[in-house]
Amino acid sequence: MLTQAVRPHRRVMQTFFNILVFVILTIGALPAVWILLTAFRPGSEINASPPIWIPQHLTLDAFLNLFGLNPAYAAGVPALSYLRNSLVISLSSTFFAVGLGTMAAYAFSRFEFRGHTLVFLIIMLSRSVPGIALSLPLFLIMKSIGWIDTLHGLSFVYVAVNIPFTVWLMDGFFRQIPRELDEAAYIDGCGYWQTFWRIDLPLALPGMAAAAIFAFLASWNEYQIATLMTRTPNAKTLPVGLYDFTSQFTVDWRGMCALAVLMMIPAIVFVILTQRHMVRGLTFGAVKG
Amino acid sequence: MAKKSFLFIVLMLLTLSIAHAQDKEPQYAGVDKDLTGVTLRMATIGGQPYEAMYDSIKVFEEKTNAKVEIVFLGDGFEIDRYLKTNYAAGTVDFDVAWNHTSFMAQYTDFVEPLNSYFTPEELAVFSPAIIQAATIDGNLQLIPRHADISSLHYRLDLFNDADLQAQFKAKYGYDLLPPTTLKQMYDMAEFFVASGKIRYGTQFAGKEEALNGRFYEMLLANGGNYFDDDLNPIFNSEAGKMTAQWMQDLYKNKLIPADTTNLLWPEVAQNFCNGDVALYLEWPGWYSFFQDKTKCPAIAGNFGLARGPVGAEGTIHTGWAGAHAFSVTKASQNKEAAVQLVKFLTSEAVAYDEAKLGLLPVRSDVWTRIIADANASAVPLDKERLELAQIQIAEDFRAVPSFKDWITFGNEWFPQLQSIILGDVSVDDGLAKATDSIKTLMADLGY
Amino acid sequence: MIQSNALKTQAAPTKQDIAANRFAQQGRWFPWFMLAPSLIIIAFVVLYPMLYSVYISLTPFNLLRPETAAFDITKIFRNYERLLDDDVFWKSVINTVLFLTITVNLEYVLALILSQLIARVTWGQSVIRTLLMVPMMFAPVLVGFQFAWFFNATVGLVNNALMTLGLMAESKAWLVDQPSGMIALMIASIWMNVPVMTIILLAGTLSLPAEVYESAEVDGAGWWVQFRHITLPLLQPFVLIALTIRSLDVGRAYDIVRIMTNGGPANRTQVIWTYAGEMAIRNSRFGLASAMSMVGVVLGVAFTLYLFWQLIRSRIVH
Repeated sequence: MLTQAVRPHRRVMQTFFNILVFVILTIGALPAVWILLTAFRPGSEINASPPIWIPQHLTLDAFLNLFGLNPAYAAGVPALSYLRNSLVISLSSTFFAVGLGTMAAYAFSRFEFRGHTLVFLIIMLSRSVPGIALSLPLFLIMKSIGWIDTLHGLSFVYVAVNIPFTVWLMDGFFRQIPRELDEAAYIDGCGYWQTFWRIDLPLALPGMAAAAIFAFLASWNEYQIATLMTRTPNAKTLPVGLYDFTSQFTVDWRGMCALAVLMMIPAIVFVILTQRHMVRGLTFGAVKG
Repeated sequence: MAKKSFLFIVLMLLTLSIAHAQDKEPQYAGVDKDLTGVTLRMATIGGQPYEAMYDSIKVFEEKTNAKVEIVFLGDGFEIDRYLKTNYAAGTVDFDVAWNHTSFMAQYTDFVEPLNSYFTPEELAVFSPAIIQAATIDGNLQLIPRHADISSLHYRLDLFNDADLQAQFKAKYGYDLLPPTTLKQMYDMAEFFVASGKIRYGTQFAGKEEALNGRFYEMLLANGGNYFDDDLNPIFNSEAGKMTAQWMQDLYKNKLIPADTTNLLWPEVAQNFCNGDVALYLEWPGWYSFFQDKTKCPAIAGNFGLARGPVGAEGTIHTGWAGAHAFSVTKASQNKEAAVQLVKFLTSEAVAYDEAKLGLLPVRSDVWTRIIADANASAVPLDKERLELAQIQIAEDFRAVPSFKDWITFGNEWFPQLQSIILGDVSVDDGLAKATDSIKTLMADLGY
Repeated sequence: MIQSNALKTQAAPTKQDIAANRFAQQGRWFPWFMLAPSLIIIAFVVLYPMLYSVYISLTPFNLLRPETAAFDITKIFRNYERLLDDDVFWKSVINTVLFLTITVNLEYVLALILSQLIARVTWGQSVIRTLLMVPMMFAPVLVGFQFAWFFNATVGLVNNALMTLGLMAESKAWLVDQPSGMIALMIASIWMNVPVMTIILLAGTLSLPAEVYESAEVDGAGWWVQFRHITLPLLQPFVLIALTIRSLDVGRAYDIVRIMTNGGPANRTQVIWTYAGEMAIRNSRFGLASAMSMVGVVLGVAFTLYLFWQLIRSRIVH
């Protein structure tokens, strides 16, 4: 460990470092704190000019408005629908992207078949197409097959969006798993699929966890494609809801922050559950998580 | 004796019936037919002050047993984008849509002509000028909901300050009264900021169609126009240069907010509400907001309204106007029911409630009621603003050019106007470049 | 009939031979079997739309006028001609290149510095990692809104903090002025991307063997020498991992720009993606917008190819 190599009489520097780092990180976390605070403050404090720094009143009004529970506001934002849509779309697309991507990665890592570099490159480059460039023709195509504003339509697209990263990650990860294990399995009479399923896959779980985190967050937070492909609370996801929200109540930062808080909770939960494996997965097992 | 009492009774009855006629409740329309099992979908404009009206939809649902879903609520530009994307892609699943005299030319292929759904009597109650403007190629595009015409809002405390009046007269040579020309408006903005008593002399929304419209009304007042009859751009004329210069000077001398080019309607209204602006042109729909002591303590009861100033041409007042409206989509599966909803939303009762908020009516019966209310009000401004509005609507109503690509033209033009305002280019260069690029654009669009 | 020696008799294949043969044959199509679902999905969702986009970029397609989707051989390059003449387009290209280059490089440097600092902290590593992951939870649209509000000229945190601290006399319209507009966008992007890179570099740093450092200390090497000659080279693979992850999602910047400035005012902060988006959605000029996104895609692909070329090169070395 690097810190073990530090000599004792540098303890003053040590304390300095500790404090400095925490200050930097606290400043970095400021936006999150601000969003959290704003969601709980009354409207008069937020738009106040000059601004009020220390909150004086806290209220749950923003959240009540969000769910239509406040009688003063006629229409609530269908936050629960957005939440449900985001959950379904993100979880299902993550599942399939990680599953199919891992399978494809296994093929790249273990087999040197003709054209494998080209195919790998195609898959990687498909990710470098920005969402906006994709969303326009995709909108026209999806409209013609009637997949606009459907849960399965958007999930399908997100699977394609998340496969490349999974393939890249799992390819690197599989390469760290010694081939001898596979070969031993072949000798024992296992077929290719069995080997994959019984030997390699269990060892690849940390990588899959890391891939799952990225895939989930990518789908959860995606806006460009979702905004063109969803139109009603049947399929609208939270990022689109967030954006629409601000053009409805035009200067309502507070409402937006409330929705943002709502949006961050499942993301936080998901990451907490899987973060142990994240570093290991990201660095191809080179570093323990 | 009997004759006298008979006369008396008749007189009493007559008076009672006249009184009763005046007390008649404002009427709803479109609720006569039952619509059980029908679901109507609506895409419409949101934000202050438009949404209060949608509460009344509950009444419609109660009376007709229909169900109304609002599928989209967004500000003027978001709703325009939403409608355009859906109309063009053929993914229209809503029956009633927002419309507006400035935007309607884009939607002509996608909205149902309403002429046949309304009797002449029903249509007669709406402002003839607006109905005429809204009839393109013989098809009635929309039914108006309320009208907007910009009027000059100004701070009473500043104009009534004796010291300021004296200083102004000394420096500029004329009295400090609500400005009647654009030049005066500039002078006063300059003066008030220099006095240190106000943050911004004036302001305007500096992006999107909001900017185009303001420029347009001043361009007209200065004697110019965007296009000639053959749709050639002609705004790099003297009038155009004057208008652009006016805006550029305001920005350069810090008489308008530094982030003007990022401001849209809610932000400029908030600035005035916060007490940061001396005078500016604004829509009347904000009236009740501005008079609300809890929301705008700095200006409630502290502002006046005047007609838009004239420009270099000398007789044309600024008067950018438009009407928000409703249309029925061609794709609607139940046009009759949708028309009912439109009739309801534009009915006397609903329009009257909106008018009470400050939005200008388009129905003659609502005008009558509103004026009667204002006569009875303790606040003189309530009455004055309506009289002002009537004059403006009659003489200054200027809707934007109604060719299909007004918005596309605007999107090409306003960033270039922003460049001029911010000082990135000179007025002459900026206007020359803009007219060139607009010529190319119009050619591309097939004109 | 000539009895041919060509008919050689072979020993009948053993069971093991058969099994081995079948195994080898399976080995030919197995990878394709594993690959197929992913390839099919990507072909449908990315490749086909991209081809369609190329086609549309050769037509004057306007969404409000469906008849313009027709192919007209005389007009196929008109969109690209328009772009070449368009000042705003060139400005957006320059802005995009500047934006990507500066942000990715700054993010790398900051992540490096931050990871080295954090590696020396003795307590609270798990708290630190949690704090680092906070920006990852933010949707890019949210980051956009957040920073748009921070940099707001009237109620923004930045102006008020600077004025309260006495560092600034009057409030600045960050998102309007040049170059503070682009800078504000870059700050937002950097805030969003540094944490992930930091985590990776941190993990790499913490995994470096202590013995190498100890012997360097014994040899009298100062911290800068240690850093340059030990840490940096050993961190190479991790750097490439971090950069690859970063490069895979350059389009996320669209959300931030769209919300903070929408390319304005006066196209000052216009980048390719927002300009294309505006062409398509606001003006309905899909043909022109597709041509623009083609250019944007080419830029993005070039960027990615360059990074991957580095990655493959280093792999061969290892």
